Amino acid sequence: MSEHHGHHVASAKQLWTVGIALLILTFLTVFLASIGLPSPLDLVTAMTIALTKAFLVAAFFMGLYWDTKFNSMLLIGALAFFILMVSITLLDTLYRDDIVPSF
Amino acid sequence: MANHSATHPKHVQHHFVDSNQQFESAKLGMWVFLVNEILFFGGLFCAYIVFRAWYPELFTQAALELNTFWGAVNTVVLIGSSLTVAMAIRSAQNNQKRGLEINLLITIFLACVFLVIKYFEYEHKLHLGIAPGSFWNPTEEIAAVLDHPKANIFFGIYYMMTGVHGLHVIVGIGLMVWLYLRARKGHFNSEYYTPVEITGLYWHLVDLIWIFLFPLLYLIE
Amino acid sequence: MASASTSATNAASTPTKLKVKRFAPAETPTNTYLTDEKGVWAWLTTVDHKKIGLMYLGAVAFFFALAGFLAIALRTELWTPAKTFIEADTYNQLFTLHGAMMVFFVLVPSIPAALGNFILPMQLGAKDVAFPRLNLASFYIYVFGAIFTFLSLANNGFDTGWTFYTPYSSDSNSAGIIWVTLGVFILGFSSILTGTNFITTIHKLRAPGISWDRLPLNIWALYATSIIQVLATPVLAITILLLAMENIMDIGIFDPALGGDPVLYQHFFWFYSHPAVYIMIVPGFGIISEVITTFSKKTIFGYWAIALSSLAIAFIGFLVWGHHMFTSGQSAVATTIFSFLTFLVGIPTGIKIFNWVATLYKGSISMKTPMLYVFIFIFLFSIGGFTGIMLGALSVDIHLHDTYYVVAHFHYVMMGGTLIALLAGLHYWWPKMTGKMYNEPLAKIAAGFIFVGFNVTFLPQFIMGAQGMPRRYYNYIDQFTPFHQTSTIGSYILAVGFLIILGYLLHSLFKGKQAGPNPWNSRGLEWQSTSPPDFHNFAHTPVVIHGPYDYHQPMEEFQLGLAVEHGHDEAHAEEATEAASEAKTEA
Repeated sequence: MSEHHGHHVASAKQLWTVGIALLILTFLTVFLASIGLPSPLDLVTAMTIALTKAFLVAAFFMGLYWDTKFNSMLLIGALAFFILMVSITLLDTLYRDDIVPSF
Repeated sequence: MANHSATHPKHVQHHFVDSNQQFESAKLGMWVFLVNEILFFGGLFCAYIVFRAWYPELFTQAALELNTFWGAVNTVVLIGSSLTVAMAIRSAQNNQKRGLEINLLITIFLACVFLVIKYFEYEHKLHLGIAPGSFWNPTEEIAAVLDHPKANIFFGIYYMMTGVHGLHVIVGIGLMVWLYLRARKGHFNSEYYTPVEITGLYWHLVDLIWIFLFPLLYLIE
Repeated sequence: MASASTSATNAASTPTKLKVKRFAPAETPTNTYLTDEKGVWAWLTTVDHKKIGLMYLGAVAFFFALAGFLAIALRTELWTPAKTFIEADTYNQLFTLHGAMMVFFVLVPSIPAALGNFILPMQLGAKDVAFPRLNLASFYIYVFGAIFTFLSLANNGFDTGWTFYTPYSSDSNSAGIIWVTLGVFILGFSSILTGTNFITTIHKLRAPGISWDRLPLNIWALYATSIIQVLATPVLAITILLLAMENIMDIGIFDPALGGDPVLYQHFFWFYSHPAVYIMIVPGFGIISEVITTFSKKTIFGYWAIALSSLAIAFIGFLVWGHHMFTSGQSAVATTIFSFLTFLVGIPTGIKIFNWVATLYKGSISMKTPMLYVFIFIFLFSIGGFTGIMLGALSVDIHLHDTYYVVAHFHYVMMGGTLIALLAGLHYWWPKMTGKMYNEPLAKIAAGFIFVGFNVTFLPQFIMGAQGMPRRYYNYIDQFTPFHQTSTIGSYILAVGFLIILGYLLHSLFKGKQAGPNPWNSRGLEWQSTSPPDFHNFAHTPVVIHGPYDYHQPMEEFQLGLAVEHGHDEAHAEEATEAASEAKTEA
């Protein structure tokens, strides 16, 4: 009963490598924020770094890299719906004549 | 395959065929729950995006009141706790009872550090009158800097996002204390560590949310 | 996967050396799920999905009766233009409570949690759902949510309409709002847990032979519903939480006086509440597919079209929420896009209707009560659906928004759709759940009352809505009096119909004829068990070699299963012996 095909056991080295990478990325994002990049670029870099960190956590800490593809699809699906919710709401809020409809 | 296997270990519930089906089902169930959590926080992120798109200068101004250093420390703390909870799962998979217990304890400790830092952050702000909603009452020097008419909205969003996240941290601590107590009693081994695995997934999500909260709230310059 | 050969008789051997035998279910079972666990405490602490389903059914019926009684009160008040017997403020509270109860406590949980909980594991050949304890928890969470909602009534109540629009709801000093928002927040978790359970069960606990192309359409429908539940309900939860915070602390996100945006509340609210209406109707579609095939003795026309259209509705349903907000002040861009997407969502729904009607063609139609309700459904839901499309047209909606036209539309789809489908499913699976048959002539009479009563109630509402009668209004001008009075009479006829149903169903529990395992001769897997079913649903592991609508195959080929092997496990020894001896007597 001890077949564990499906239960990937990560090595300590793998986990620590990912952990250190996450720390480095954290320092990087704080540093980049402190040097004050011009307007859309600061948001773009911050979000790119955040997405990279998120990918590392999801793939290696949460084990999605070795897990059944369906679980990854669940995560991606959730993000897709979140993006739909935000973008369609923005279709309203960004295109209003005046921001809050006055009474 | 659909037949009961030769042994039906104690930890396998009667409606499952074997241990593996139970484990995979638990994992799937937890991932579905995480989808649900993502959409829950998603509403808050949506409110953030809508208001930031409308009042970008407010966000730049208000973020000055947030302490980037302690926010970064909290990020490091949570990443550390994600690492230790992953190590805890690894210990369980390798039948290392002691390793499991120690890693769980460190995770709990780091989570508590996060909450303590959060507490001091909140206390500092409330002291300056930067409070949510009807308690908004900034001191004169703050009001001089934070002169945007919608400043209370930013902090409403800030308190809601970090507050709901903080509640999830507290729940996580509770879950991990429960896990620790069970680990001490020897409930977990390489054959059965499902609760550790799925609690770990939950905890990683808490970390994930913070990974996005941190730059969005603290790193706006 | 144990693969059975196509031989229909007693024994077939499989590559894994398991024996597939025929297990015809017993006519009068001695040990059922009802007899194996007895007493109130056993029921309250059960993790058996069947009992949990029945508890949900009882709760849903109770809330339906309560909210229905409120409806009768409202309609009676509307008999005359001015006050009839209720004060204006009370009237507002009553329609709010009627709406909130019907939406959150009846329609959203009814088919998935009551019928779905009972039938889903059986249709999958599973012993239970994936997380039975979570299932029980979701029931108690539902009960807690209800208690909190009722506590709000003791605390000033709430009169905002079930939609709780800001700033009225967030400015309201009523403590009642806090209680009901808490109640709805808690209730949301019940829905989420049920959805999580169903998704996992469908993926992981299917019996051997149930491939995705042999899944009953009821399961496809519940699958799509569960996806919506998991994705949409959390947004309701956060909306309600923000509303409560607005109310308690004036956070200011939704209140224009504090710098916020009330339309943003509407976005958040409808992002859940529109998919919620699909949570209500899609399981109903699943039931219609089951009933229509059984009573036409024919396979479904366009299996994949119906299966995938459920998923399509689930997906597109997330993109149309703004059609509730055409007059709210949202941007012209958003309004136009929402209108277009709304037309789109009608297409997969229409596909279903065409496919169902095509299923009837050249079928051997048996007009038993469940089938009667199917025809009623197709008629009423089509009207509801069409009028929904009409409301989706921007220019038309400007005139019809917030009138009785909308009220009539949603009652046609929700009541004429979901509730009628629930009645169809209830009458279809009643023999399976209780082992008893109800009085068929009476059931048909009740269906007649409901059909006539429903149309007399709601058809006039389309007309007066188009003539400008606003919804949620306590008073009205004289020209609408005949419409309102007709509508009120209709509501009494409806009530009589429901009372008749309650009567004969309760009567059947005590004096009903014993139902055999398969009174409708269905090919569905759930009918290959005893009525009522065994505690574990089947005394064996079912093996499926045909799709659930293969009426051209003989019944023997649907009664195949694997005997549990002898003495391998003390806990199942009794089962194993029973199953083995059963198999011997078949030989």
